Amino acid sequence: MARPANSPSRDPLQPQRLSNGGLVDRSRTIEFTFDGRTYKGHPGDTVASALLANGIVLAGRSFKYHRPRGIISAGSEEPNALLELRTGARREPNTKATVAELFDGLEATSQNRWPSLDFDVMSVNSLLSPIFVAGFYYKTFMWPAKFWEKLYEPAIRRAAGLGRAADVADPDLYEKVTAHTDVLVIGGGPAGLMAALAAARSGKRVVIVDEQAALGGRAIDDAATIDGRPARDWVRAAEEELAARPDVTILRRTAVFGTYDGGTYAAIERVADHLPQPKDHHPRQRLWRIVAKRAVLASGATERPIVFGDNDRPGVMLAGAVRSYINRYGVVPGDNVVVFTNNDYGATTVTDLIRSGANVVALVDSRPKPSETVSRIASATGIKLLNGAVVTRAFGKKRVSGVTVRTQTGAEVKLLCDLVAVSGGWNPNIQLTTHLGGKPAWNDRLQCFLPGALPPSMSLGGSVAGDFSLHKALSGGAAAGASAVALEGAKPITIVVPQAADESDAITPLWRVEDHAGKAFVDFQNDVSDKDIELAEREGFRAVEHLKRYTTLGMATDQGRTANVNALAIMAEITSRTIPQTGITIARPPYVPVALGALAGHHRGKSFKPTRLPPSYKWAKEQGGVCVETGLWLRPSYFPRKGEKDWLDTAKREVNTVRSAVGICDVSTLGKVDVQGTDAGIFLDRIYMNNLKSLPIGKARYGGMLREDGVLFDDGTIARFGDHHYFITTTTANAVRALQHMEYCSQWLWPELDVQIISATEQWAQYAVAGPKSRELLQKIVDPAFDISDAGFPYLQVGEITVCGGIKARLFRLSFSGERAYEIGVPARYGDALMRKLWEAGREFGACAYGTEALGVMRIEKGHISGPELNGNTTPHDVGLGGMVSKTKDFIGRVLGARPGMLDPNRPSLVGFRPVDRSARLRSGAHFIAQGVEATAENDDGYMTSVAYSPSNGHWIGLGFLKHGPSRIGEIVRAYDPVRGGDTLVEVVKPVFVDQEGVRVRG
Amino acid sequence: MADSTLQPTSAFSHLEPTSLPGIAIEPRENFTMASFAAGKGRLEALAAAIREAYGVELPRRPQRVVGNGIVFVWLGPDQWLAIAERTNNRDLEVELKQRVAGLASVVDQSDGRVIVRVSGPLAREVLAKGVPIDLHADTFGVNAVAITHASHIGVIMWQVDAAPTFELAMFRSYADSFAHWLLEAVASTVPAAA
Repeated sequence: MARPANSPSRDPLQPQRLSNGGLVDRSRTIEFTFDGRTYKGHPGDTVASALLANGIVLAGRSFKYHRPRGIISAGSEEPNALLELRTGARREPNTKATVAELFDGLEATSQNRWPSLDFDVMSVNSLLSPIFVAGFYYKTFMWPAKFWEKLYEPAIRRAAGLGRAADVADPDLYEKVTAHTDVLVIGGGPAGLMAALAAARSGKRVVIVDEQAALGGRAIDDAATIDGRPARDWVRAAEEELAARPDVTILRRTAVFGTYDGGTYAAIERVADHLPQPKDHHPRQRLWRIVAKRAVLASGATERPIVFGDNDRPGVMLAGAVRSYINRYGVVPGDNVVVFTNNDYGATTVTDLIRSGANVVALVDSRPKPSETVSRIASATGIKLLNGAVVTRAFGKKRVSGVTVRTQTGAEVKLLCDLVAVSGGWNPNIQLTTHLGGKPAWNDRLQCFLPGALPPSMSLGGSVAGDFSLHKALSGGAAAGASAVALEGAKPITIVVPQAADESDAITPLWRVEDHAGKAFVDFQNDVSDKDIELAEREGFRAVEHLKRYTTLGMATDQGRTANVNALAIMAEITSRTIPQTGITIARPPYVPVALGALAGHHRGKSFKPTRLPPSYKWAKEQGGVCVETGLWLRPSYFPRKGEKDWLDTAKREVNTVRSAVGICDVSTLGKVDVQGTDAGIFLDRIYMNNLKSLPIGKARYGGMLREDGVLFDDGTIARFGDHHYFITTTTANAVRALQHMEYCSQWLWPELDVQIISATEQWAQYAVAGPKSRELLQKIVDPAFDISDAGFPYLQVGEITVCGGIKARLFRLSFSGERAYEIGVPARYGDALMRKLWEAGREFGACAYGTEALGVMRIEKGHISGPELNGNTTPHDVGLGGMVSKTKDFIGRVLGARPGMLDPNRPSLVGFRPVDRSARLRSGAHFIAQGVEATAENDDGYMTSVAYSPSNGHWIGLGFLKHGPSRIGEIVRAYDPVRGGDTLVEVVKPVFVDQEGVRVRG
Repeated sequence: MADSTLQPTSAFSHLEPTSLPGIAIEPRENFTMASFAAGKGRLEALAAAIREAYGVELPRRPQRVVGNGIVFVWLGPDQWLAIAERTNNRDLEVELKQRVAGLASVVDQSDGRVIVRVSGPLAREVLAKGVPIDLHADTFGVNAVAITHASHIGVIMWQVDAAPTFELAMFRSYADSFAHWLLEAVASTVPAAA
C-alpha cells in the first residue's frame, strides 16, 4: 500500500518524519544511539518521538512474559517504552521514552531482554504463561519453603524485573526549593493557561507547572484552532504575557506529584535531564515544595486502551498519542492505520492521519450507529467506516501487521496495517485530588471517574473536570482561575474566553472485546491480562484493593494510569455490578517517579545533617585528634601519638596523664542555660530533684532532673553567680530537650514565676583542665588578680574572672574525672586561642589533650553516671542517687517517682564490677546471673551498662544495674552475654574504682 | 582587651565576602550582642528605659528596629536581641545591664551566634533553597524578623533593606555547615558558565 501521491513530504533521513509541522527544531539534527545503533532526531523530540521518526516502535520486552512491546503513549502514563538511559554513573533504568527528551549523544538501551531486543531467550516465559498467572509466586513456589530464598526468588528476580541501576554513586546534584504562591496552576494546557492568565491579571502571585518541555497540552497535540489561529500561536502569546509578569513563575518539565496538608504540593523539575549533563554546580533535578493558598488542578486526562486479543503488539498505540506524534513532533507513527474507537474524540484521529499522508485502512467504531462527528469525518475523508465492529485480535510479533475485525454482522475480516490507533475513552487525571483521601465520583454520561470531594482550596479546570472540549476547557480554566483569586480577595476581572470548537465527547463504553483470541492485556507494565482479573474474581479477590494486590495491577511506575479503570470495569462486568458499585483504588504520591536524590537534595553524604564544630575543632585536627559524631557535634575522641597502636593505647596514656599530671578537654558541647529572675531559685528548685535553695552565691552543685513520671531525665551542674542569677549545664545529648522542658515549665506550668531562661551553650568555649597540676597550669592563664589557690578557690567554687590580660571568663571548680579539676569558659571567639594558650602553657607540666574516650574511662572509674545509665528507664535510686532526692520540697517527678514500683528494692541498682580473672574483657549489655542457676530470663538479675579498661587498676571494670546490688558487694556473679558468646565471672564491688575517699578533687 | 594575648578567630573556615552578579554574601562577626528578657511586670518600664537610652520603641511582634547605634531584633514574647558594632570595646551585656538593671535579664550572645548577610536581586531565590518561609516583599519586607531554619539549621533572620538584603544569625558551631549549603545554593542559582 503506497502512500498517496499528494501526501506531505518527509525527511529523507528519518523515514516517518514530516518535513513540516510540530514543535521540533528541524534546523538542528542531533544523533543518538538505541541499542548501539545511531539514529537522528531533532531538539524538541522525546526519545519516543525520535524512535518513531526512524520507524522504530519496538522498545522493550515485558516484565513477566518478555513479550515484545512498543511505544503506546506520548506521556508519563507510558507502561511499555521503558529504557535505560546514559551509561556509567549516570545510567538510569526504567526511564519513559515518552518523557525523556533527546539530546546530542544520548545513549538509550532497551531493557529486560537477553541477548538482544530482537531475540530474547526469556521470552520462553511466554510459553509457560499458564504458570505465571496472577499470584503465581504465592502458589507455584511455595514448597519446599527453604527453596524460596535460595532458589525461587533469585531466579524469578533475574527473569522478571526491569532495568539496572547504576552501580556507582550518583555524580549529580539535586536541590530542594520552597515556593509560596497565591494560586498554583497544575497543568499548562488550555485550561491551565486560562486559569493562570485570569489569576495573574488580578495581580496575584501565580505558579504554573507543566510536565512537558512546551506548554499547550492537548491544544498542541490536537493541532487545534483558537481564535481562528493555530493553538500554538495563542499558547505562545499566553506564555509571553505570563512570563512578563514579575509574580508569575512558569515551571516547565515539572510534575506535581503529591498533594499534602495545608495547601502544600510537591513537584519534581527535570532541570537537566534534557542535557548531556547538568551545567556546572547546577542540579539535575529540583524538588519543589509549593505552598499555595489556592490551587487550580488542570491536569488533563489520560486515554485508556481497549482490551482485545494481543493488544500489546508493538504498533498498537493510543489514538491521542498518534495525534501527539503527528502534531507535536511531526512524526507519522505508521503508514497504514486502523483506528479503533468507542468515542467521537478517538475518531478525529482519522483527520490527522489523512492530513499527514497516512493511509487509514478503516475506522472501526464499536458503536452501532455512526455519530454526527463520525459521519462527518467519514464523508470528508472517504475512509472505510465499520460501525458496530470491534478489533478482536492484533497479529504480527515485533510489529503489528494486521488485525482481525468482527463486523456488526458477526463476520470476521482481516485488515492489514502497521499501526492501530485505539481509544477507549479518557480518564481525567484525578490522582492529586485523592491524595488526601478524596473519593472519585463516577460519571455515567462521560464514562469516567471525576474528582469527588476536593482537597481544601483546590478547584478544577479542563478535562480533569470532565470538560473535554477545547471550548469548555478554556472557559472552565478561566472560571477556575478567576474564582481562585476572588476567594483570595482580588477584585473581579473580566476574562474574554477565546473562541474554540466545542467538540463532541460522545462515548459508548467498551472495556474489552468479547470472545477475543490471544492474550488481552489490561496492565501492560505488570503483564496483567483480563484472564488474571477473572482468576482473581474466581479466587475471591473481588474488592478493588484485593484485585490490585493479588494481580499487582496498577502497582508499577505508571501507577496503572492506562489500566486501573479498565480493570475495575472488567471486574464489574464479571461480577454483574456497576462500576461505582465495584469502586476504585485511591492513588498515593508520587504521581510520577521521583529520584531519591531529589528527595535528599543538598542533604546527602556529609551534608545529611548539619555538623556542629566545637571551638577547639581546628586545633584538635592539627593535633591529629580523631573525631567522633556525638549527635550533630564532631568531638575529638582521642589524640593518638606516635607508637600507639590503637585507640585503647592512646586512651590509657591520656587517662594516666590526667591522673598523674594534667589534661585538657573541650567540653563546650554541654548545654548551658542562663537562668535569671527574682524567682529563679524557686524555679530551679521545682525542676531539680535535689535541694538548691541552700546553694550559696559563688558555688556550684550537681543536680538531677526527673521526668513527670519520676524517671531520671538529665543531670548537670547548677552554678549560682548572683542573688537571682544561675547558670546551669545539661548533658550534650539533652541540651535542646532540657531547654524545651524548662521553657515549657516556665511558660505553661508556672507563668506566675519571674524567671527568664536563655540558652548560652554557644556563647562560651569551655575547657576542662583536670589533674593534679591543673591549678599550676591555670595560674599561667588566669589573670593574677584572681586567687585560684585551693583555699581561695576550693572544690565547687565558681567565679567570673579574666584571663590572658582582660578577657572575660568564667571558672568552675568541677570534676568529672575525680582529679583536682576546673572548667574554664571564655567567649567562643577566643576559644581557639585559649586552647592554644593552654597547650603552650601545659608543656612544662607534661599536659595532654584528651577526648571522649579518656573522659568516658575516667567517669566509669569514678562511678559517675552518663548516657548508658541515664537511659530513660532508671530512677534516682537505681543509679545510687536516691539520697539526693529532696523530701522537703515539691518538684517535677516527686509524686510519680514515689510509686511503690519506682522504689521497689528489687529494682536493679548501680554497682561496680571487676572480672575475677583480671585479664578478662567485660562487655556492656551482658546480663547478670547468680552462680549455680540456669541462665534464663527468670534468673536475670540485671545488666552491665558501661565498661572500660581502667589504666588505674590495670584491668577491665564495669558499671551495671544488679538486683539488691549494694547488699551483694563481694559476691561473684556471671556476666552472661549470649549474643557475643561471653560468660565471665565478675565480682560485685562499690561503683568507685579510683580514690574511693574522694580526696583528690579537693586538691 | 587590646592588651590581651588572645586573638579572636572566625567561626567560618571557608566563607569569604563574595560578590557575584545578582548576589553578594558576607560573614559578619564583629558585633557585640546580648539577648534580654523583660522581668515579670517590667515590660513597660523596660520599653521606657530603652526608649530613653536609644530613642526607639521595642517591637512587640517579629520586627527589628534601628536605634541610636543599636539594632533590636524581636526574639519572642518580651525577649529581644540587641546588636551593635563591636567598636571601642563596646560590650552590650555590660551596657544593657546598667541601663535596664532590675527590669530585664541580660545575657551576652556576642559569640553565641554569627551572622551572614545575603544581598541582591537573587537573594530570595538562593534562600528559598533552604529557608521554608515566604520572603516575598509583600509578606516579609524590610525589618521583618523570622525564627526559622535554613538547610536544617536554626536561624533568626531579618530583612535589612529592599535590595533585598537579609541577615541570618545562627549558632556559631553551625557556621561551616551553613556556609557549605549557602555556597552550593549560590552556585546553583547564578547563571552557569556556558
